[in-house]
Amino acid sequence: MTAAPHKTSVLVADDDADIRVLVGIAVRKSGLELVGAAADGNEAWELVNALKPDLVVTDVSMPGLTGLDLCRLIHADGELSGTRVVLLSAAVDEQAHIAGLDAGAIDYLIKPFSPRELAERLVALTQSSTARQ
Amino acid sequence: MTLTAAVNLLATPNPSPLLKQAPMTILFGVAAVIVAFNPGSVTSLASIVAATVAVLVATVLAGVLTAVSTIARFALLVPAVDLVAIGFLRFGTGEGLSSFSALIILPIIWFAAEEGREHIWFAFIGTAIVLIFPSVAGQSDSSALSVLVRAAFSAAVFTIAAAVINELSRQARLRLSSVRRLAEERKSALESNELRTNQLAESEASLRQAQRMFRELWGAVTEQAVIGTDLTGLIDAWNPGAALMLRIGADHVEDKRHVDEFHLSHELEDRARELNYPAGATVLNPGFSALVEEARLGSAEVREWTYRRADGTELPVELSVTPRLDDDGETVGYLFVAHDRTKAHEVAKLKDDFVGLISHELRTPLSSILGYLELMRDDDDEKLTETQLQYLGVAERNANRLLILIGDLLFTAQVESGKFNLEQHVQSMSPIVSAAVDSAQPAAVRAGVTLVVEMVDGGMVRGDSVRLGQACDNLISNAIKFTPAGGTVTVTLNGEAHQVVVTVSDTGMGIPESELNQLFSRFFRASTATRNAVPGVGLGLTITKAIVTAHGGEMSVRSEEGVGTNFSMMLPIEQPARVRSADLAQ
Repeated sequence: MTAAPHKTSVLVADDDADIRVLVGIAVRKSGLELVGAAADGNEAWELVNALKPDLVVTDVSMPGLTGLDLCRLIHADGELSGTRVVLLSAAVDEQAHIAGLDAGAIDYLIKPFSPRELAERLVALTQSSTARQ
Repeated sequence: MTLTAAVNLLATPNPSPLLKQAPMTILFGVAAVIVAFNPGSVTSLASIVAATVAVLVATVLAGVLTAVSTIARFALLVPAVDLVAIGFLRFGTGEGLSSFSALIILPIIWFAAEEGREHIWFAFIGTAIVLIFPSVAGQSDSSALSVLVRAAFSAAVFTIAAAVINELSRQARLRLSSVRRLAEERKSALESNELRTNQLAESEASLRQAQRMFRELWGAVTEQAVIGTDLTGLIDAWNPGAALMLRIGADHVEDKRHVDEFHLSHELEDRARELNYPAGATVLNPGFSALVEEARLGSAEVREWTYRRADGTELPVELSVTPRLDDDGETVGYLFVAHDRTKAHEVAKLKDDFVGLISHELRTPLSSILGYLELMRDDDDEKLTETQLQYLGVAERNANRLLILIGDLLFTAQVESGKFNLEQHVQSMSPIVSAAVDSAQPAAVRAGVTLVVEMVDGGMVRGDSVRLGQACDNLISNAIKFTPAGGTVTVTLNGEAHQVVVTVSDTGMGIPESELNQLFSRFFRASTATRNAVPGVGLGLTITKAIVTAHGGEMSVRSEEGVGTNFSMMLPIEQPARVRSADLAQ
């Protein structure tokens, strides 16, 4: 965080507006840059291609593409190798969690989530990726 | 009446006394007529009158004896009186020169034909008396000696004749009785034959009825497939239900197809693996053997399978398999009764979808509520007042309560549909129980309840630590909730031979005995709980029991109202022991 003050860019995708705002607040609190918000999977996929964000925080069940579909598409796309995905899900079972990680997500949070915890995780993820660079 | 007919009449088995007397009466009448036309032959008219009277008496007597059967035993009086009559007639018509001595043969035949040798002697004595009678009367012209000689000689001849008649009669009687016996036997044989015929007809009727009943039943079962096979699985019975369900008629399968051809081969293979059938063909038809294994061992089996129809489509079925036995109790085949589970599966899926939807739709608004409440609490720019923080706490606490309730509902729904997944780790119960006790400690303190722990590491169990922890949490928090301030909740962990036992006892209000058996039902709340306004919805114990059952364990409860309650969960110790000792050694 010294020479190039490149803020990690984050895209939020959730069909519930209140949750989008909540995630947005958590993103800002963690010192990251919110670059876009999508209300469904297809819009999210367009924005990902347009904005190439560093992180996508997305709901799993959305109209259009699901969070898992989005995750797989990003993972399979060579041009989006710098984009990583954090999943938010209302499903509680273990299978859903495993399916998320299988699809290529780097983290998985269960709704309801604590905005504080989400912010902390985002910071940790950014730092670990900065450390890798 | 011809002579033959008359003789035949007399030769009937039991001629009446009157019939027997008839020849005597008739011939006597003839003799009387002869005497009337030849008065010169009469030597004593008085004797002839006496003879006539005697014959009349004998004939009347015979008539009476015929009419009154109860005095039949006196029948021999008739020939006796006849003898007297002949004696008088003979005496009255010139004695030794009498033309009517031959009449004597009639009573002698009568005597001789009677059953028993003694009648021969009656005939002899009777004859002798008749022949000697004139000398006895002292009015004979002949010398006493010649009378005696004649009498003795005639008597001897008549006696021999009587003896022959007696013997012939005896033989005739024997033949008659044997013929009668044969007739009797034939009659009873005929009767028993008739009886058997009737019984056979009855059996046939009831068999026909049973067959009709069977055919009707067999035809009426259209919602279940009933399939019969021999020991190799070759189908020999295929009911209309099977034809409907599997879309192929009995003509095309009976004695032609094997029942396992209608199953998915991978399901049969999976089952064969479960049954540890060795690889390779040690059983004739592994697929069929897997299908009937439990029925073969004697227990009726009910299991879900998938049928593949003749047209290739599939349907889930619940299939019960039972052995068919012969008269000696030997298994000669199997019966398969299947009912379609398609609808049930659709309903289960709808329910799953619904539960998923509800879960999602309820958790999303709760995410916002809890998230924004947290933002408000964490807002460093605008600090909240103490009162505002307190209100916020209430809102958060209740939102969390809702969250737990949703989780519990979701969990019980998963349990009901048989779809809840357990992690399988071999582990000790000690840390799980300790953690549950630790997390319950603040609530116990708040409630003024003393929480006591007694733990002996009872051994390893296989299971899901989160779920087992949830079960312990439920029991302990329940115990605290139901125990008034000043009471004690004791949590013990023990190992027994085959199980690890966690017991939670309290000194609380207890549960009425009549409610104990409903305790684990969903949404059931004990009357003591509602009466004492203990909060809850009645899912905790349902969930606890489901968790314990899913781990192969059992739950028990003892309670006394006003004294306390004691819940135990018994979990099987992980087997085999070798694994356990290895784990313990680590």
